[in-house]
Amino acid sequence: MKSKFLKTIVLILISTGLRAQNIVGEVEYRYKIFYDKIYSSLPHLTEQEKDRILLTWGSPEGYSTRMKLQFWPEKSFYTFGEPYEVRSYSYQVADYFIENNLKDQTYLKYMDQMGKTYIVRDSLNAPKWRVMNEIRDILGHMCMKAVSEDSIRGQKITAWFASDIPVSVGPEEQFGLPGLILAYDINDGMLIVEAEKITFGEPEEIIALPKKMKGREVSGTEYQDLVREFIKTSIESKRAWMWGLRY
Amino acid sequence: MKFFLSFLLLLAITFASQAQSKLTIRGTVKDTTNVPLDYTSVLLLSPKDSALVAYTLTNKAGEYLFKNVDRQPLLIKATYMGYLPVQKELVLPETDVLEVEEIYLEPILQELYEVVVKAAKAPLMMRGDTLEYDASKFKVPPGATLEELLRKLPGMQIDKDGNIIAQGEQVQKVTVDGRRFFGGNTKMATQNLNAESISKLQLYDDKSEQSKLTGVEDGVKEKTLNVELKEEAKKGGFGKVSAAGGTDERWTANASYNKFDKENQFSVIGYGNNVNQSGLSWDDLQEFRGSSAFQWGDTGDFGFDGSGGNYIVFGGGDNEESFEIPFNNLNSGFSNNQAIGVNYNYLKGKKDFSSNYFYSRSDQILESVNSRTNFLQDNTSFTSTDQSIQNNVAGHHRANLRFQNELDSTNTITINAKGRLSTLSTSLLSHQELISNSIVQSQLDRNNQSDKWSGAFQGTAIYRHKFKKNGRNFAASISDTWSKADQDGIQKAVAEMMDSTDPNTYFQSLDQVIQALNGSNVIKSSLLYVEPIKNIFFWETFYNFSQSTSETNRQVYDVEQSDIRELNPELSRFFDNKITYNRFGTSFRYANKGSNLSVGLAASDYQLNGQFSVIEGSEILGTVDKNYLNFTPNVSYWKTMKGNKRINASYAMGVTPPSIADLQPYKDISNPLYIREGNPDLEPQVSHSFNTGYNMYDPATFINLQFSFNSTFYQNQVVQNQTIDPETYVTTYKAGNVSGGQRYFPYLGFGFPIIKTKVNAYLSANPSYSKSFTLINSIETETNTYSHNFGTNLDLTLLEWLSLYAGGSYRLSKTNYEQNPSQNQDIVNWSVYTNMNIKLPKDFYFDVKFNHNRYKNESFGFDQKVPILNAFVYKLLGKEKKWEVRLSAYDVFKKNQTISQFAGQNYVSTGRIETLSRYFLLGVTYNMRGVEVKNRR
Repeated sequence: MKSKFLKTIVLILISTGLRAQNIVGEVEYRYKIFYDKIYSSLPHLTEQEKDRILLTWGSPEGYSTRMKLQFWPEKSFYTFGEPYEVRSYSYQVADYFIENNLKDQTYLKYMDQMGKTYIVRDSLNAPKWRVMNEIRDILGHMCMKAVSEDSIRGQKITAWFASDIPVSVGPEEQFGLPGLILAYDINDGMLIVEAEKITFGEPEEIIALPKKMKGREVSGTEYQDLVREFIKTSIESKRAWMWGLRY
Repeated sequence: MKFFLSFLLLLAITFASQAQSKLTIRGTVKDTTNVPLDYTSVLLLSPKDSALVAYTLTNKAGEYLFKNVDRQPLLIKATYMGYLPVQKELVLPETDVLEVEEIYLEPILQELYEVVVKAAKAPLMMRGDTLEYDASKFKVPPGATLEELLRKLPGMQIDKDGNIIAQGEQVQKVTVDGRRFFGGNTKMATQNLNAESISKLQLYDDKSEQSKLTGVEDGVKEKTLNVELKEEAKKGGFGKVSAAGGTDERWTANASYNKFDKENQFSVIGYGNNVNQSGLSWDDLQEFRGSSAFQWGDTGDFGFDGSGGNYIVFGGGDNEESFEIPFNNLNSGFSNNQAIGVNYNYLKGKKDFSSNYFYSRSDQILESVNSRTNFLQDNTSFTSTDQSIQNNVAGHHRANLRFQNELDSTNTITINAKGRLSTLSTSLLSHQELISNSIVQSQLDRNNQSDKWSGAFQGTAIYRHKFKKNGRNFAASISDTWSKADQDGIQKAVAEMMDSTDPNTYFQSLDQVIQALNGSNVIKSSLLYVEPIKNIFFWETFYNFSQSTSETNRQVYDVEQSDIRELNPELSRFFDNKITYNRFGTSFRYANKGSNLSVGLAASDYQLNGQFSVIEGSEILGTVDKNYLNFTPNVSYWKTMKGNKRINASYAMGVTPPSIADLQPYKDISNPLYIREGNPDLEPQVSHSFNTGYNMYDPATFINLQFSFNSTFYQNQVVQNQTIDPETYVTTYKAGNVSGGQRYFPYLGFGFPIIKTKVNAYLSANPSYSKSFTLINSIETETNTYSHNFGTNLDLTLLEWLSLYAGGSYRLSKTNYEQNPSQNQDIVNWSVYTNMNIKLPKDFYFDVKFNHNRYKNESFGFDQKVPILNAFVYKLLGKEKKWEVRLSAYDVFKKNQTISQFAGQNYVSTGRIETLSRYFLLGVTYNMRGVEVKNRR
């Protein structure tokens, strides 16, 4: 039902080509994660341990990664951006790539999660968004608030979408709102993803998937089952699942 | 019939609802001046939870159209940049088409949008007629009042009498969190509320008090400003106190308290006991130091190191020379320990300050028996035994200060200051025997006393600069370490000679007074520059300098009569020396996609100068003047691979200059059994280290594997060559260089679940081999040591109320003497342990810890078993479980003692120390945050 509307809006945008400047472009996001807050929310910790974590390795700045989203009315690509700091060592090998195809209503995710490389393909299934009565400005775009929940990961998601960029995509696994999602936050600040730069127009260098994709092919539901199982066993073994699975 | 009718009816309804289930909704969006708004988002929401049902955009004429919408209660919402979103409930028509009346969007007050939404980045919230925004986003000076905050807000004015005018109307009342503030006196509120404590401001029209009271709507509205206060900023305190007493006058007590908010962390800690705990636990140390618990990279040493290793070691213990707070330290013998510490950290923005002071004191009694058998060339041996009682009273004051400031995004400065002040009094009573051919050859009774005072200070400053070009960095450091130690001592010995008349014999009667004053100062400085080339290549250049000057002044007086002392020129030394170190190096690095390769070369130069005499100013006995220049290559490679796998390989060459003590060309006979002689011809020791490793961890299956293989080859290894006098058994050590020494350390570890989340196992094996050479009585002696070490651990957490940990290790250390195989030694060390934690009903807990160690050396018939059983029963009390009562039993079998075994180049030694054994404690703990039960490790 909703996908039909998504499709309609894609068709409207493509057919009218209206004010086409702001329906194609690239967004750089700051993916800022607060491991101390996440870690101290784990159920098996005592109050004292929670305090100790916040006290000794609490970091008000969080840990930042630059991410990149390229969008068109009918599709979007999302992956890592240029690192903030050029360092003389390298340990980043994980792939994280998401392609959403709004025309066919399908997605492809190529990512290293839970110690393995997965290739996930399935049809798009937008989160259940609730649109709230709150506005905020992000990079000169008036954004509306929308909230949803991820029951598997236990996450409360607060997203801000720009209705003047009517492309129904967003960073990470977020999409399906009447405008481009420019920011979202999980559980009141455990993760903050926020746009830092928007460039409209065809991107100079289009994100390309690795030529050889090696990994386990699974469907979206199979992947969700794996995630559910992974989180369950991690919690049972009193381990922090977020070290093996993107938050 | 009835049933049939109702069935028909149901059918009809179903059809009807199906027929008109899909709706078409259309309408127009305009602004308040009646101009159609195109490109406006129009959303359909479900009124009960605002769930998004459908959305579209308006066309050029401001028209929107939804087709095939399910018939259900709906809200329509329109939003356009710069306008307040409008939403209203739709009245669903009987027909399939709903013409929605025109929606008019009102522009957001220019000022409000610019000031609140854009400039202050405060989200604007619409609640019916109320506009609400986040006041905490507005910058006001610290201590500012609400009035000052209101002046900054658009649409608000404060008139000369202090009245609030909002959107042209006077505000009638101010409420705080919805409640009236001081009888609704607005000025009272605005002038007394602190702006920093406010999170949100809401402005709305409220009913008059009159109508609220009577329930009759009188149409009078009061402009109301509601102030929402921030939840308490992150702020807290926790602390615990515990005390226990028991059998044999055993007692232990400790207390700690932490208080912190966003910027300040304060903590105090203290303990006292006579059960051998002479340091903080790791958890307590973390809590005590707070944000400064993990502080690395503060040494200011740049460039690769010669060992090829690059890791941080958490040692623990209480080292006299260290500036660090002691932790995880369990004494041998019997000891009485106290400590107190204060820590304060201040963190604000880019400024980070931490400080602490820690005083610890320990009064320890060690009763030990040591035995050492030395092998001689002719297959004979002699044994020396030593029975002693030692009392050490040590006190340490330690202070640490650290300040780091990120001046801006490119410059960071770190300053570290550490200080230590220690006192140490030792008294030793010992009885030594020399046994050869099973006959006691000689005996010696010693009585030594010494008092020592020492102090040290270290200051380090590090400056780091990031250039505009990303990846180009510069760093510089400078540090100074100063130390001084003053020792006074008395040495008395009474010898009972059995068959030697040689004055130079092993056992001598002594009555001496010793005064020693040692001082040193080390200045260090390092520079580092990194130039990136295409983001994946880096050229690193570094320079290190250090200069250490030290002075040793040891005066030994023979006490001839009760008050006549004579300087002993054989044992008294004045010695001053200087070691200057310069190193310049460069390395080329490649870092891309997890692969890291570094190839480097450094030139290092050591300059050693020293001279010594009997006392300061007397005739110079000798000088040391040495210069060593070496080129050291360094190669390292590591690669992080997908699936949490990592491999590494490296080669490093290390150069260690001889110690000045080994170079000094004179005899040190301060210990008459072991005479030390320097060697001015020593060359620096060169080591070649090859390290490789692989490790992996699968977070989904919990399987992990670690493998590493490290080896070191020595050139000019500095060893202590020995000459043993066959008559007197006096050993003279003289440092010398020997090549060919080798060490190999493989390690294999494998962890896997047997039943996932319930039973886990970890197996490890680390055999090792080392080969060393020394000259013993001028004959090159080769010693080979093979060590076989196997360990296994099993974790069982089958049930929520029971966890069981068990494991064991076996270690066989074979020492083979190439020239003297009949003396080969096999030292065996077995160890098994089990830990069990049971949670019983009614907050009762039961823990048992059992450790069994067995030490064995067959060639001496040595076989010692040390089984230690500790058991604890405790109960948590109170609703929040803040209280705990605990009964502890330590060493139930009364078997505790400290055992050591070692086989060296031409000797085997064993030692045992009488250590605190069986005792029971009954104690109480109060923890403000609830007592922690650690039933999992």
